[in-house]
Amino acid sequence: MINRMSKSNGNGGLLHPSVDRVLVIEGTHAASYAVKLARVQVIAAYPITPQTSVVEKLSEIVSGGELQAKFIKVESEHSAMACCIGSSISGARAFTATSSQGLALMHELLHWAAGSRLPIVMVNVNRAMAPPWSIYVDHNDSLSQRDTGWLQFYAESNQEVMDTVLQAYKIAETVSLPVMINLDAFVLSHTSEPVAIPKQEVVDEFLPARKALFKVDTADPKAFGALIGPDAYMEMRYKLFQAMEDARAVIRDVDLEFSAKFGRSYGGLVEEYFTEDAEVVLLTSATAVSTARIAVDELRSMGFPVGLMKLRAFRPFPVDEIRALAQRVKKIGVMDRNISFGATGIIYQETKAVLYNAPVRPSLFGFIAGLGGRDITPETIKEIFSYLLNHDEPERETIWISLKSDSAGQEEPPIPEGPGGRMKSEGV
Amino acid sequence: MTRYKYTTVEEMPPLAFSLESTRKIPTGSWRHVRPVYKNKTSPCEVGCPAGEKIPVYFDLVRQKKYEEAWYKILEDNPLPGVTGRVCYHPCEGQCNRKPYDEAVAIHNIERFVADKNLRNKKLPQVSETPKSEKVAVIGSGPAGLSCAYQLSRKGYRTVIFEADHEPGGMLRYGIPEYRLPKKILDKEIADIESLGVEIRMDSRIGGNVAWSELEKFDAVFVAVGAMRSRKMDVAGEGLKGVYTGVDFLRDLSTGIVPKVGRQVLVVGGGNTAIDAARSAVRLGKKATILYRRTRAEMPAVPEEIEEAEKEGVRFEFLVAPAKITGVKGKASKIELIKMKLGEPDASGRRRPVPVKGSNYTMAADTIISAIGEEPDLSFLPYSFLKKGVRLFVDDDYSTGVPGIFAGGDAATNPNGTVVNAIRAGKDAAKSIDEFLGWRTQSNGLSHDVVHPDDVNTFYFPHEKRVKVPRIAVEKSKASFTEVNRTLTEGQALDEAERCFTCGTCLHCDVCLTFCPDVAISKDKDGEYVIDYDHCKGCGICVNECPREAMELVPEGAHEVEEEAVQA
Amino acid sequence: MGQIKYQLPPEEILAPGHFACPGCGGTLTMRYMLKALGRKVIVVIPACCWSVIDGPVPYSAAGVPVFHTAFETAASTASGVKAGLEAQGDHETTVVAFAGDGGTFDIGFQALSGAAERNEDFIYICYDNEAYMNTGIQRSSATPFGAWTTTTPAESPKAEKKKNIVEVLAAHRIPYLATASVAYPDDMIAKIQRAKDISGFRFIHVFSPCPPGWKFEPEDSIKISRMAIESRVFPLLEVFDGVDYRLSRQPAGTPVRDYIRMQGRFRHLREDQIEEIQKYVDEDWERLSVRLASTKGAEHLKKAAPQKEKESSRTKRAATKVRSRQK
Repeated sequence: MINRMSKSNGNGGLLHPSVDRVLVIEGTHAASYAVKLARVQVIAAYPITPQTSVVEKLSEIVSGGELQAKFIKVESEHSAMACCIGSSISGARAFTATSSQGLALMHELLHWAAGSRLPIVMVNVNRAMAPPWSIYVDHNDSLSQRDTGWLQFYAESNQEVMDTVLQAYKIAETVSLPVMINLDAFVLSHTSEPVAIPKQEVVDEFLPARKALFKVDTADPKAFGALIGPDAYMEMRYKLFQAMEDARAVIRDVDLEFSAKFGRSYGGLVEEYFTEDAEVVLLTSATAVSTARIAVDELRSMGFPVGLMKLRAFRPFPVDEIRALAQRVKKIGVMDRNISFGATGIIYQETKAVLYNAPVRPSLFGFIAGLGGRDITPETIKEIFSYLLNHDEPERETIWISLKSDSAGQEEPPIPEGPGGRMKSEGV
Repeated sequence: MTRYKYTTVEEMPPLAFSLESTRKIPTGSWRHVRPVYKNKTSPCEVGCPAGEKIPVYFDLVRQKKYEEAWYKILEDNPLPGVTGRVCYHPCEGQCNRKPYDEAVAIHNIERFVADKNLRNKKLPQVSETPKSEKVAVIGSGPAGLSCAYQLSRKGYRTVIFEADHEPGGMLRYGIPEYRLPKKILDKEIADIESLGVEIRMDSRIGGNVAWSELEKFDAVFVAVGAMRSRKMDVAGEGLKGVYTGVDFLRDLSTGIVPKVGRQVLVVGGGNTAIDAARSAVRLGKKATILYRRTRAEMPAVPEEIEEAEKEGVRFEFLVAPAKITGVKGKASKIELIKMKLGEPDASGRRRPVPVKGSNYTMAADTIISAIGEEPDLSFLPYSFLKKGVRLFVDDDYSTGVPGIFAGGDAATNPNGTVVNAIRAGKDAAKSIDEFLGWRTQSNGLSHDVVHPDDVNTFYFPHEKRVKVPRIAVEKSKASFTEVNRTLTEGQALDEAERCFTCGTCLHCDVCLTFCPDVAISKDKDGEYVIDYDHCKGCGICVNECPREAMELVPEGAHEVEEEAVQA
Repeated sequence: MGQIKYQLPPEEILAPGHFACPGCGGTLTMRYMLKALGRKVIVVIPACCWSVIDGPVPYSAAGVPVFHTAFETAASTASGVKAGLEAQGDHETTVVAFAGDGGTFDIGFQALSGAAERNEDFIYICYDNEAYMNTGIQRSSATPFGAWTTTTPAESPKAEKKKNIVEVLAAHRIPYLATASVAYPDDMIAKIQRAKDISGFRFIHVFSPCPPGWKFEPEDSIKISRMAIESRVFPLLEVFDGVDYRLSRQPAGTPVRDYIRMQGRFRHLREDQIEEIQKYVDEDWERLSVRLASTKGAEHLKKAAPQKEKESSRTKRAATKVRSRQK
């Protein structure tokens, strides 16, 4: 792990002067500590596996007096988001955490938060949607919230969870939009990793107290969110659209500023890995990225021209970054840990949409993998690379990886031979 | 009102919030009916022959503005201390509170106001400029006093010719001291005189003053009253011991104690009969009233009948005198005949019919006949038109002889009450004013009278009518001291609070309280202003008004009315 | 003595020009609420008539900050606003959730129960017009038995009784619970002001007639409200800590028929059905009387032992202090 971190994301390491201490903690607790460091003023949350440890840790932190916050232990996720909306419109910094069904229950209010332009930050532990019941990771829960007007980040490590929460408040309060930070159920949420906890004073410098641009204020009474006619609704939507557009530059700037303060950078909307000279690049997100790094390292050592693009921000979607990549590579494979029924993987669709108007369009492949907590191992990634290296064009729109099927139409791809030797594969 | 309009996305706020108050939105355009403040007439005002503005002076009483209240009464009636005591208060019969619980004790408040101002000599100034015409009034009873007073207020020089030695007519000579103390009467007459009214005593027109004396005047008001008792037309009426009620009461008023036996029989059912009987009681006698109808038909004021009963006056109903016999010219026995009620007569009361063979006799040495009074018009020089025993007058109190007006008990239209005489004087003054070429303003009574159903009684919790304080019966029986006392201030205020004040806005704020459109406010003078830019015409204010001082008019009708006024 | 008059706080915070229908009870409720609480108030309004009444963007009638929120979130959003203010050191501003019966009895019920149970520190005012009026008169669980609505047509009017929200809230043992009526503005204002001085979850259930929804002339709004109170259809009361019931006004006990017959929404009812409603009202009143009597009984006991009464009021004061310190 340390090795991976030193080599890839979180490249500032654990010895940066901003570091107060290093704790070996779960991803959920990384979120909790970040909330504390961000001096969040109101927390409202409802427990759901596997998010529970976020709120349990926060309960300890708040009741122990380490954080001066109001913690509303609501009766549902719906109320959790409503509380966040209420406290945020009052000018306070608000936080909640949820997962899967809870996120789905919040859906209406996600629109409300974004439409009210409230800089709420939420941690969502990605968990598959029921039925059938599953508590394991996939991304259909958060991606179903694609059009609510929330920024979405997907974290690869516990350190990134912590750092993204801190960045998220800064971004949210700059563009007046809410931010969702996603981390994979169990793979991150319940896996302990060393996490550098920054010093409070450095965080305070980076993230000063919120100054609400507008709020419910008895000194300046206004009504928020009343009925609006067709003469102005569209302009309100345009403003929200524009704020999301503006967020791209803000995300990049904040990451740069964060890097300068804390010595760790995440590249803004995406992070690229061995893409400089790559011909075949895999585009994926969250913890699968870590796994993919191992596969890429291995394939690279064998001489295959492969690379990796980590999709860190899903909203706003990294249009420029993907188009720039498309200029350089021959093939892009997208591995989705989600499925849009009746269509394809969601990130694949989005990538394809982005490339349609691009000057250069490489071959694009869509893979579905790891639903409902199905393991994504280096072998899974290599299998995908194998497919990519052996095909000029995809044979079908949606290629399901590791599907237990005799007749899914999935032909075993031939094992490619690279300059450094023949790839080993356990089969599809 | 310019409504806010967005133009470009750039100038819009980042999210949908308000920038202005809805005050800019003229929701008054939704309205199809409009509330307006419109005072209406209370039934008591209509019921008061003198036309006193009862709701107005009640409001002044509630504000403890007793002097202003007094002035308000004096506009219509110069004798509130008198009427507050002796008026039969038809106003109370009309009171909208009557069907709800009990009528407001209006006349007791009137008396309270008058008595509060007993030492007040500052009468309201007459606003009109003095006029050159002079008016003569014959008789200083309530009609004459009222007429002279009103004329004087209108700027006329007025002279009252009074045949008697003291002014007041029946007020002085017909109403016993225990009901109307002379000092009250004297005070109010003095007030009238202080306005410039001249009263010439011992001046009997057609007697020591020639009728031609009146030719110096531009108009004459005849108000000689009805001072003569009607005859019973039974044998023995001239015997000693048989009095008329008028004479009996006059003697008492002038300090003469009539010689009466232990048993006094009073014939009649009116106020004179009651006064005579109660006076007899005060002389230590036993009094019995003989009336030919039943109690229900008695014309006397019910309270007076009750008082008489309390003081031990006995009543015999359905009985009439047939003849009086005497010994040595002095009455000793009376023969009575029993009556039964037949068909209703012109007055609407059932006519008493003698029961044949029911005659009986009882011992009687003192009999007071009080079956009604009539005027003595023998002094009139011309052949004035008469109706029955009274002088015929038109609705405007004119007699047919130009410049000569008449009213009060001497004329045809009253019913023999003080307040009707006061009204006659007041209205005749108006007619005289018009006759002399001046225009009199109307009293402005609206034709819209508030009915009991119009009152929002929710706002008036049930409360008992004030119990008028009086001296103990044992004491009252033994002297001519005034029986009823003036209400205490607390009682008067409580009783005044019972008044619904029908039809007159009291600024009670109910309309303002319940306006969902915040469209009613008060201006700097405390008057209500309706913001028609925003009033949606829901009508709650009108419906909730406790006293029907508002109404809803169709939208547009208001403008038509205003235009008509301007035209 | 004399005429009943109302001494209301003079300041008018609510502006005219709002979008309420003529004779709107819910709007009078807002007006009185603002009079009672003044300008240091933040109002949270879920979907309800008042989402429209306050005025379209960029207008507002309320004169105080208003946050329009989703239908089912009055209580939760208000919880958040209050927490946010507290977290920023504002302990003065009163937060009010202002919701209709739909947002309170039905779709917002969960959030309401949650906030009540957590004893969130705000005032919840439900202006109850007994149906979904803003969407065009559909039945809610606050619609009374026998009433017509567009979803309970006259051929099959509402067959269920109105949900007893007072008992529901009392069961949450909230510190203050009261019913009020637009016909008794002084009572309503006094209750809202009392609520202001208590910390924790406070609920005011306001009977708010709706002329177009109940089918009566707008001018009769107050009269009908009054009849509802006087006929015991809607008793005016206060409940402290969910157990201590106090009657605010002894109703005259006028026949329910008089109240029913004034409204078109009950036009289809036969006499026997009205008698049935009378029976329900009588039964409810009896049940309430038992509660009131037990409270009175407690008071009698206190009177019998003045020593103890003192002690208990001291304890009560102490408890209030503790509550306010917890703010």
